[in-house]
Amino acid sequence: MLRVNQIEVAYDRVQVLFGLSLSVERGEILCLLGRNGAGKTTTLKSIMGLLPLRGGSVSFDDKTISGLPAHKMAAKGIAYVPQGRRLFSELSVRQNIEIGLMASGAGHETREYALSLFPRLRERLKQRAETLSGGEQQMLAMARAICARPQVILLDEPTEGLQPSMTSMIREVIIEMKNNGVAVVLVEQHVDAILAVADRVTFVEHGVDAETVAVSVLKERPELVNAYLGV
Amino acid sequence: MDFGPHLFVASLEGAITAAVLALTAVGLSIVFGIMRVVNVAHGEFFMLGAVIAWWITSLIAGHPALGFTVALIAAPIIVGALAVICNRFVLHKINYEPERTIVATIGLLYVIQQTTLMTFGPEARPVEAPFNKRIALPWFEFGESGFALTWPWGLSTTTYKLAVIAAAVVILLVLWTVMTRTKIGLIMRATQLDQEMAQAYGIAVNKVYALVFGLGAALAALGAVLVVPIQQAHYLMGDDPLLLSFIVVIIGGLGSVPGTVLAAVLIGMSDGIISVFFTPTLAKILATLLVAFVLIFKPDGLFGKRRE
Ligand SMILES: Nc1ncnc2c1ncn2[C@@H]1O[C@H](COP(=O)(O)OP(=O)(O)OP(=O)(O)O)[C@@H](O)[C@H]1O
Ligand SMILES: [Mg+2]
Repeated sequence: MLRVNQIEVAYDRVQVLFGLSLSVERGEILCLLGRNGAGKTTTLKSIMGLLPLRGGSVSFDDKTISGLPAHKMAAKGIAYVPQGRRLFSELSVRQNIEIGLMASGAGHETREYALSLFPRLRERLKQRAETLSGGEQQMLAMARAICARPQVILLDEPTEGLQPSMTSMIREVIIEMKNNGVAVVLVEQHVDAILAVADRVTFVEHGVDAETVAVSVLKERPELVNAYLGV
Repeated sequence: MDFGPHLFVASLEGAITAAVLALTAVGLSIVFGIMRVVNVAHGEFFMLGAVIAWWITSLIAGHPALGFTVALIAAPIIVGALAVICNRFVLHKINYEPERTIVATIGLLYVIQQTTLMTFGPEARPVEAPFNKRIALPWFEFGESGFALTWPWGLSTTTYKLAVIAAAVVILLVLWTVMTRTKIGLIMRATQLDQEMAQAYGIAVNKVYALVFGLGAALAALGAVLVVPIQQAHYLMGDDPLLLSFIVVIIGGLGSVPGTVLAAVLIGMSDGIISVFFTPTLAKILATLLVAFVLIFKPDGLFGKRRE
């Protein structure tokens, strides 16, 4: 449903993506795996329309969406959970969720659903986002995205720096979204996490999609990970 | 007049300066806070507010309150609309790049100032206040008969001056309510905090910028309309408010609205008092010195929050 077609992206004069492609279907989790600086975050930002494309295109349900202004993407059904969370730091938990709801025009039910996934947020609705713990901040970043009622969700290292219990909670929510028919693009560094949730894996290397494999293939050929991550 | 009553009158003058300055500086502050734009032309929006108020009141016959009321509503709207146009065709075109923005707004300053000179002329022109009753103010004394209230000669103000202070307080409270309690305020604050994420969550940042730039200019114009019956309209009258607004915004902590208001009260009051007892120039010198010290010792402003 979401198709990224040979995109080329640069920051000013430094080109970072050199014809990267990927695709993801409804109810599927696609993981992006690659070294630091390979261009994963850049890919997600480009899909969101936050960076201009020099070449290639992005389409959603066979309609081209690249070239639309970034603020139109939420209404198209794409939500973004960025690396480092990037909450609206001085706003309360309630207000951050409110902004997610505004993106979709969704109401009370969606808000209740998001809070039921992360009950700890309900206790802290009035707290400023910047005063939440790292784990709570990540929950809020997810809740904000869920309130935007996405058909495609882009998650950039949502478990970075979290302890195992928090990690598994986030992972369960991701799987629930997949089961609800959401297309998930997940940037993830931990191979065990990838093996647990992913359907397919796209290896990103030097700004191109070096190889895309089903997760079953990865299980049979674990050396692929070493080849692209070089651990 | 004794020192006490004299200081009282000076403080009242200071309060009027503070009230008008608070409106003007908050306008500059939200533009800087949300758009990261240093608007050097801000004082010219102030001046335009006064000049347009003169123009409107000179067109409308009848009781002065009628023309003034129309000016109070129309002048900020006209100036705000003009600012939206400047935003769209100048700032937006140069992508809000900091250096180019400063140069561009300096350009706007001269274009607006010289256009006013060519059309409105070099004279200072008065606007009649909608109401202007002189009221004597009481002072207290400890005489032989103990505590007593007296009405010293010359200790007075006008109803209009008190109304200016009240109006500024009301306008600032309304603005604060909008910023903190409404959806549009939430959108503005989200844009201020993270422009990219605001876009990712469906906020049309360009529209927010247009709104904020228009609102900032309208606030300056509003301050000017309020003060023009006391001060007269003149094509160079934007210079002082610009300098003082910059001072206030820096002291208040860049982009913080409560800090800006507090700093406006501090600077406005001391400007009023020093101007009455000494000279207006000394007031400006001291305020500028204060900014220098704030920049050296507390770069985030007296009331600003430290950024990490
Ligand atoms: N704003 C920017 N300006 C200039 N270069 C940038 C910018 N953001 C990223 N880059 C460069 O683009 C390249 C790809 O960065 P990107 O953030 O997409 O990598 P990544 O795959 O997400 O890495 P990580 O795993 O460390 O998050 C890097 O070389 C980075 O230095
Ligand atoms: Mg990254």
